[in-house]
Amino acid sequence: MTTTLARARWTPLGMTWKLARELFPFAVGVIAWQLLSSLNIWPPVLFPSPLEVLRAFIADVGSGTLLVNLGVSLKSLGLGFLVGAVIAVPLGYLMGLNRASRDFFDPLVNLLQAIPGLAWIPFAILWFGLGQGAVTFIIVMSVFFPVLHNLLTGIRTVQPVLIEAVQTLGARRMDVITHVIFPATLPNLMTGVRLGIAFGFRSLVGGEMIASTDGIGYAIFNAQQYFQSARIVVGMLAIGITWLIMDRFILRPIELRTTMRWGLMRDGLENT
Amino acid sequence: MMKADVSEILVAREVSKTYFDPTFGENVHALDGISLSIRAHEFVSVIGPSGCGKSTFLRIVAGLDRPTGGEIRVSGNKVTGPGADRGMVFQEYALLPWKTTQANVEFGLRLKGVSRKERARISRRFIELVGLSGFENKYPHQLSGGMRQRAAVARVLANNPTVLLMDEPFAAVDAMTRQRLQEELTVITATERTTVLFVTHAIDEAVFLSDRVIALSGRPGRIVADVDIDLPRPRQWSELVRDPRFQHYRDLLTAKIERTGAHVEAHP
Ligand SMILES: Nc1ncnc2c1ncn2[C@@H]1O[C@H](COP(=O)(O)OP(=O)(O)OP(=O)(O)O)[C@@H](O)[C@H]1O
Ligand SMILES: [Mg+2]
Repeated sequence: MTTTLARARWTPLGMTWKLARELFPFAVGVIAWQLLSSLNIWPPVLFPSPLEVLRAFIADVGSGTLLVNLGVSLKSLGLGFLVGAVIAVPLGYLMGLNRASRDFFDPLVNLLQAIPGLAWIPFAILWFGLGQGAVTFIIVMSVFFPVLHNLLTGIRTVQPVLIEAVQTLGARRMDVITHVIFPATLPNLMTGVRLGIAFGFRSLVGGEMIASTDGIGYAIFNAQQYFQSARIVVGMLAIGITWLIMDRFILRPIELRTTMRWGLMRDGLENT
Repeated sequence: MMKADVSEILVAREVSKTYFDPTFGENVHALDGISLSIRAHEFVSVIGPSGCGKSTFLRIVAGLDRPTGGEIRVSGNKVTGPGADRGMVFQEYALLPWKTTQANVEFGLRLKGVSRKERARISRRFIELVGLSGFENKYPHQLSGGMRQRAAVARVLANNPTVLLMDEPFAAVDAMTRQRLQEELTVITATERTTVLFVTHAIDEAVFLSDRVIALSGRPGRIVADVDIDLPRPRQWSELVRDPRFQHYRDLLTAKIERTGAHVEAHP
């Protein structure tokens, strides 16, 4: 990116313009939604209007249930992600760097990754009982494979010439791993993390609907039991918005910082 | 075996290489009985038609490939794997994208445990030598192709290898930049008294740079000529192209290679 553009972004006018551009699609979505619901084709219980949803949102925020549920969900997500990544990352490097362990784990991983995280719900309930323990387990199973898979791809695609070049500078195996393999796989690892969290999010809501008694997913499920359609939408939007914020302010900046600075990915991410 | 002359830094004895090509299930005979020796401070180029095994030979010297026959000795030690005494400059630059120019140049020194201060001193000298002062803190993607190759040369030189190996290092840059890099390389290797083994398929380039040019035949590569280049240094393209001796060497080598029935480019 040119410096002039980068500078323009930090002027108040530039910032406002950028924000407006980012919010524009959402504004169009809300307007279309409002128009559609004011046609009164469906009863509100089947198609709640934005205004009803806003009212439900304010009520749920006021009573604290939304934030409590969101907190519960994010805790499961965070814990599930952490456990999944803590297993997947070392296993990935082990498989990527050691022929014997790759030959051993590859068939197992291949078999298990075809099984969706949600398919573990029955066992999750049997092992952990209804609650966040079961949900966390489901998230672990959902996060694990995208992280592992992306990491393995990263290790496989390290340019051999980079390894050979540092070897002719005196690098031993450990030097190659720390100075070439680790940094070279960082962008793939970040992609894996981002995908892992996205997969985890999906499983989170599904898991909570069936295997839990609190959390956002449970709140959605519960609202449906009482035909509180607006609250269903509040829950759904809470998930979507939480993801957007997390992606925009945590995941993307990290991904950007690594890939852009090294010129591994020249364009594409900067303006998104 | 005969006691090696101490000034013979690199000795290849009957080096052969046969690749097995699994897709066709056949053997590719790439190199056949290459024997040569290179003295300290000598600039030697290996030329030959495409596919004759030049890169294979250089990779065997670097220890990145194993010969199927024969052996390489550097300073008397048999080559069994890659090492810092044989630094290589690749056609693809092969700089680490996550390190700045300076960090790339200091990399080998860092592996050796050289202190930060000493590293900075040495890298500054070599960055200046290759004309990259002011670009110390740039990442490789912020440099042009020619600048990247300069950084790659500085990276290997800073590591003070016994032999500098170069595999068509200037093939990916434009013709004008290439000529400038060639001129700079002759100056740098003369001042540093570097021993160089340089691979190219361009006869002009080989004659311009070298004290000695070794020509290989088409596959399997065998030595068909070993010619001392007796041209004054420092060399400059503007003068050399008009020098009848330059043309003589070029024609001589072209004829030697053509006699083996292989096509080779006469111009860089
Ligand atoms: N890893 C490999 N496996 C099988 N065959 C190989 C391998 N590497 C090289 N060869 C074969 O060995 C021969 C010599 O290859 P090499 O790369 O050394 O040639 P070269 O002289 O450097 O050619 P060029 O001028 O095109 O770079 C070629 O026929 C090539 O196909
Ligand atoms: Mg080659």
